Amino acid sequence: MDRRVFVKGTTITVFGAGLPFSGVQARSRYAKYAGKTVVFSIPAHPHYDAMLKILPEFTKETGIKVETDKLAMSRMKDKQLLEMAKPSGDFDLGCYVVMWKGEYVSKNLIRPLEPFFADPALADPAYDMKDIVPIYLENLGLVGGPKGYLAGPGAKLYGIPYGAETSVLAYRRDIFAKHNLKPPETYDDFRRLLRVLKDKEGIGALASRGQAGHQVVHAWLLHLNLLGGSVFDDKWRARFNDKAGVEALKFLQEVVATGPAGIPGYGQGESNTAFLQGQAAMYLDSTSIAGLVNDPSKSKVVGNVSWALHPKGVRRASQSGGLGLAIPTNAKNAEAAFLLLQWLTSKAQDKAVTMVGGAPMRNSTLRDDEAVRKHPEFVAFIEALKHSNPDWRPIIPAWDKINVQALGVGLSEALTGKKSAEQALDDLVPQVNAIMREAGYRV
Amino acid sequence: MRTPCWVPALYLGPAVIVMVAACLYPVLSAFQLAGYDWAMGTPWSTARWVGWDNFVSALSNSRVWSSLGTTLLFAALCVSAEMVLGIALALALEHPVRGMAFFRTLFILPMMIAPIAVGLAWRYLFDAQFGLVNALLEVAGLSAQTWLADPTLAFAAIVVADIWQWTPFVFIIMIAALAGVDGSVIDAARIDGACWWQQVLLVKLPMVMHVIAITLMMRLIDAFRVLEVIYVLTFGGPGDSTEILALHIYKTAFVGQQLGVAAAVSVLLLVVVVLLSWGALRLSNPMKGEPR
Repeated sequence: MDRRVFVKGTTITVFGAGLPFSGVQARSRYAKYAGKTVVFSIPAHPHYDAMLKILPEFTKETGIKVETDKLAMSRMKDKQLLEMAKPSGDFDLGCYVVMWKGEYVSKNLIRPLEPFFADPALADPAYDMKDIVPIYLENLGLVGGPKGYLAGPGAKLYGIPYGAETSVLAYRRDIFAKHNLKPPETYDDFRRLLRVLKDKEGIGALASRGQAGHQVVHAWLLHLNLLGGSVFDDKWRARFNDKAGVEALKFLQEVVATGPAGIPGYGQGESNTAFLQGQAAMYLDSTSIAGLVNDPSKSKVVGNVSWALHPKGVRRASQSGGLGLAIPTNAKNAEAAFLLLQWLTSKAQDKAVTMVGGAPMRNSTLRDDEAVRKHPEFVAFIEALKHSNPDWRPIIPAWDKINVQALGVGLSEALTGKKSAEQALDDLVPQVNAIMREAGYRV
Repeated sequence: MRTPCWVPALYLGPAVIVMVAACLYPVLSAFQLAGYDWAMGTPWSTARWVGWDNFVSALSNSRVWSSLGTTLLFAALCVSAEMVLGIALALALEHPVRGMAFFRTLFILPMMIAPIAVGLAWRYLFDAQFGLVNALLEVAGLSAQTWLADPTLAFAAIVVADIWQWTPFVFIIMIAALAGVDGSVIDAARIDGACWWQQVLLVKLPMVMHVIAITLMMRLIDAFRVLEVIYVLTFGGPGDSTEILALHIYKTAFVGQQLGVAAAVSVLLLVVVVLLSWGALRLSNPMKGEPR
């Protein structure tokens, strides 16, 4: 069965079943929890900055207070793990990065959401689960299915996407028009354009992340999938040092050579800034930059950016990732937290947060006339989402360690010239296999 | 009248209790943790006793040794530069000069800034595209550098950031120590014909050597513990060129979820710091030879 059909089907079946029995009015749903305070762990992230603008409306509407605990994304997991491991934690609702979902579930730190959606006293009958972009729901919400993180038999819903993203190509249409260039359709075009743009325009061709750790792995994965590679084969044996893996890393080396100076030190912020400040002609990364491109206080390229699909390699694909919301197992106010989660991810609030700079996670918002007038790039995003790959990275509990401590170091060494692409990847295989064996995989 | 034996115990007791609770307990916990295999976010009851395995795993990991090498080089460069600059600044500002209060305040400002903010500030200063450091280099006719993208330059960047932040610590301690030097001894040296250099090297600094030793020890300990600035500035990269041991421990504990191995590496770090501190105190131990 097609994966997307499965996601739609199961979510409609599981959650839709409870809807006809839910005749509880919104007011009575919230009344029991009025006056309670939901403590919400959030990252410093543009989507959550936008969310803070609509949050007062929730308290006004429901009487439930919300206290946010905002941390840098990189430090948020440490605090969440400490809090969620206690018998009674301080967080009632938490934002998580897609890569953490498997680990949180394997440690029983977050709750399955089915019981909440099946509870007529809590569930909103108008909540439209099938309207959530299926790839986002699968990628961020499901755990326990095939490979442990894909949709299919055994998959259960543990989170709802909120701050989800895919990858698209943003390019400077003024520069492309000046040199009579077209946005790259394929990776061959893409590779050629890097050098052409660098030589003709004198600025960096493509902005990219490259800092040691998660950032450089993220940058490499952006090319690996398209060029036909993946981190593991179907039996969890490392295959990232094959022809496709080497080609992806060599492509990234070319991005560094033709890009804005200093990419091996770039995190997402520096990569965004390079494009927004006009130091790079193209940007291939998260859709989350869309809210910044036309903000004159943050961007020097307002009105000069067009959007295209991630260029095609041996296949068409785009990233799946971003942030989601889950309820900790040890939450003191789990029901009130669910009401907040449900409210934030409802159709009305998804549009509301999008209109103040957030990232939409519902098809209805992506296709909303008013939203599309404000964000014409949504047309390209809808197309990109059709090709979004839920198996973009192996979201197993051991991935964070492989990502940061093994691949994140070796790939960085290839970008600085300490090792060739082939040597860097070959040297990483034993390290990654050792981590997999520690995690219980027979490799 | 002879002091009853319980009086020292009464006076020292509260301090000892605080020290045991705040210092000794975490150290003993680290030793205990080093014997277990335990991941954060799981109940302690699921921790598995593994004996010396974590130490074997830590000591056989080449990344631990390369991190230790990076840490030793980092500490040697930073602490040497901070001691020389801090003492030089203290000597320059020990006598009343116009605006001295302003300079003293200015010099201790970096120490008062949160390490995360220091890391961010230097990240922007060293930015290859928009950083002030490159702008100044270009004004001076030199070529801009990709500071945080080159292993050697990134290491230089973390050294510079640490020196900038912690030289004021040495300065403030040394200026207090120099203020306590008996002026009559300096006068005597001057009458005996000692020049300024001789007064400093042969009289002043030997008289404050015990303070220098303690300051050196404190800076060494801190240099081995520094984490936040490097975390923000380079996250140990490019490659592992700036991955000092404290950052390696952090990644092992919080990313790799191997708290036992991280605790074992922490014990290794503790041993290194104790040895170096012992060496620093051998220079001049203020507690040695004190009359009872």
